[in-house]
Amino acid sequence: MAEKSYEMIFCIINSGFSDTVMSAAKEAGARGGTVLRARGTAGKEAEELFKITIHPDKEVIMILVTNDIKDDVLKAIYHSAGMNTAGQGIAFSVPVNKTVGLSQ
Amino acid sequence: MAENINTRTPQEQQNTKNISPIKLELLITIVDKNKAEFYADLIQSFEVNFQFIAAARGTADAAILDVLGLDGNEKSVIFSVVRSDKLDEILYALDNKFRTIKKGKGIAVSVPFTSMIGTSVYAFLCNAADNVKGSGKNG
Repeated sequence: MAEKSYEMIFCIINSGFSDTVMSAAKEAGARGGTVLRARGTAGKEAEELFKITIHPDKEVIMILVTNDIKDDVLKAIYHSAGMNTAGQGIAFSVPVNKTVGLSQ
Repeated sequence: MAENINTRTPQEQQNTKNISPIKLELLITIVDKNKAEFYADLIQSFEVNFQFIAAARGTADAAILDVLGLDGNEKSVIFSVVRSDKLDEILYALDNKFRTIKKGKGIAVSVPFTSMIGTSVYAFLCNAADNVKGSGKNG
């Protein structure tokens, strides 16, 4: 089992922007990620209130990173694909308790 | 003004403070698409009652795939709710299979649950049949 401490970054983004996210994440030190298809469900009222358009087609990108590069990866994703970009991405990380299968 | 809906006395609240002695974790297992059923069955054999599988694709480039011995980018992500006391056993079994099965490499990570609601759902997720009304000696 791994000794390093890891975090899982989740990034929810408009469909088609996963390459943008992964490029930014890799530049910040991430090795790879996994992309899932998803559907956004934000309400019409919220769209009008915040003056944004929510595309229902989403991608969820999961990137496992070590703690020491987590902030760099999150910042890179925010700058390249954050809410103020066409990708309208939301990124957050959750702590990971245990891992197996990672090559050191 | 919001109505106070908590009608339990402090003593009752104290008595029900630790009603979840078994902690739960979300186990996220990423494997090749054609091995998903195998790994889901393996995880299920450890008293895991709730799992779902999502189709996904990997983003690692060809060089990394070669180094890791991975076949392609078509992946499956298995989300399983597992008991904390079973986690080491499950991870050990998964690690063993990741190392020994041909083209069966993958990664698994666990994320702790911090809260949930519903005693019957909780009993279902941790496979504690005795805690469900109408079954076992406590029913």
